[in-house]
Amino acid sequence: MNRRIRNIIIKEWKTTFGNINSGLFITLLPLIITAQAFVFIYLLMNFAGADMLIKTILGKGMENWINTFPEIAELSLVDRFQVFFFAQFPFYLLLIPVMIAVSFASFSIIEEKQERTLEPLLATPVKTWELLLGKSLAGAIPSLLITWFCAGLFLAGIALMGSAHLLKFVFNAQWFISLFLLVPLFSLLAFMLGVIASSRVNDPKTAQNIALIVIFPILAILGLQVMGFAVFTLTILFVFSVAMIIAIFLVLRIAIRLFQRESIVVMWR
Amino acid sequence: MSVMIEAFNLTKKFDNLTAVEDLCIQVNKGEILGFLGPNGAGKTTTIRMLAGIIAPTKGYAVIKGIRTDEEVEKLHEIIGLLTEIPGFYGRLSARENLLYFARFYDIDANTQVDKYLQKIGLWERRNDKVGTFSKGMKQWLALARCLIHEPEVLFLDEPTSGLDPESAKVVRALIMKLREEGRTIFLSTHNLEEAELLCDRIAVFRTRLVAIDTPQNLKKRLFQRQVIVELEKADQKLISAVKSLDFVLDVKKDGNQLTVELSDFDKNRPELVRCIVERGGNITSVFEKRHSLEEIYLTLVKEEQEIKA
Repeated sequence: MNRRIRNIIIKEWKTTFGNINSGLFITLLPLIITAQAFVFIYLLMNFAGADMLIKTILGKGMENWINTFPEIAELSLVDRFQVFFFAQFPFYLLLIPVMIAVSFASFSIIEEKQERTLEPLLATPVKTWELLLGKSLAGAIPSLLITWFCAGLFLAGIALMGSAHLLKFVFNAQWFISLFLLVPLFSLLAFMLGVIASSRVNDPKTAQNIALIVIFPILAILGLQVMGFAVFTLTILFVFSVAMIIAIFLVLRIAIRLFQRESIVVMWR
Repeated sequence: MSVMIEAFNLTKKFDNLTAVEDLCIQVNKGEILGFLGPNGAGKTTTIRMLAGIIAPTKGYAVIKGIRTDEEVEKLHEIIGLLTEIPGFYGRLSARENLLYFARFYDIDANTQVDKYLQKIGLWERRNDKVGTFSKGMKQWLALARCLIHEPEVLFLDEPTSGLDPESAKVVRALIMKLREEGRTIFLSTHNLEEAELLCDRIAVFRTRLVAIDTPQNLKKRLFQRQVIVELEKADQKLISAVKSLDFVLDVKKDGNQLTVELSDFDKNRPELVRCIVERGGNITSVFEKRHSLEEIYLTLVKEEQEIKA
């Protein structure tokens, strides 16, 4: 890796993890999101029950989803619901990299603004793309690692819940695409939106609020599938990933334009 | 003598506002050029263009043969910029801050950082967070940051701002030393005394270049040389006698002190003294009136304002 990019990443980690609030946010939030998923599934399965759930909109969602995975149809109703819920987790997990990336982007860029460090930084031989990439990797690397760690934790949790026999149904191609394609893409998109938002405002919270619009597509994926309006098959996920890549390039162009040295130095007050 | 900084019709417009207009300037190697101008004159914008931070709307600048709008990264290897506000990461220590900036250059970052931390007297505080530093300490640290890669050309925007008089004196000595080392310095300052003390040439700037020359030549250009004669008693009879001399252009009285403007300063001065003595005047001292840089600056800026009006 380019030594300047490495330098930026190390400095970003020092300033971010040196701040107790950011450090706690980045480490605790993923664990809370993961635990929340378990609690949600546990409550639904134990208090509502499969017989009750089948009569709700979730039942319709599950049946639609099962149609594309005929091997699951052989399972009991309880197991079918569990597999259905477990399979949604990778989409739900997308919230982690998004929130971490947005947090990193807004803190790191607004810190440059508030500390007035951008001008001396831009007087060094660092290139704009190195600065952007360094900052995005500084946010993306921990968020990806934490997300994958939480995915592992979730799978371990399934086994601990006594549903290890369902892992072979949960652990499918959609899981891999979601974890290893959608997670990095959403993370990058969220970071870029964080950069754009941070270049327009002076307060990290406002920047985060703006950039968090990227959560809506995630909620849409989850909602549409859970309620039976759509089933995200492999093909759809691939198409979605391609659309994400295009969106990232578009957003990246805007981010780079807003990251022009002149805009940063002259317009950022 | 080689030219290190050159600007050709350098112009910067922000929408309808012209911040810098047709600036043409040359700074030679090892020279300190003082860049003087009122607030909002476009000094910082000029420095930003010369340092390749922002692009000119028209014209261009060349630093040691490098176009500032074309080879920015190469340019930044050879220049050091002291920004108006010494921005640092408050949560990082002084050493961590300097190391971060030093690692963008092809230098032995650890050695250079330690060397400059000792040089600026912050070695004992090297592990303290910059957020706890005073404005003066941050200014020292900013100076170290702009010198850490040993640049040949320095752009210093108000280098003694925020420093106590003693520290300011040390910074001025450091600037003189940097010139002795052969570095070229573009110094923007409000401190006219500092400019006169340090600069080989002064550029008075107000959106456009108003004047550029050595402090001595600027004085000569703007002010007629005047002689000040201090007398035991300056009576009206004596003043009238001085005024009647054909080489005397003007006489002003201030207590027992006469300020006399002569048609030929060097030739007429002894004649003036002789004439006063012959007419019974008791002279206590005779000297040439010195004009401060402040007077030059204010006169030039006023003239420029009048032209614009």
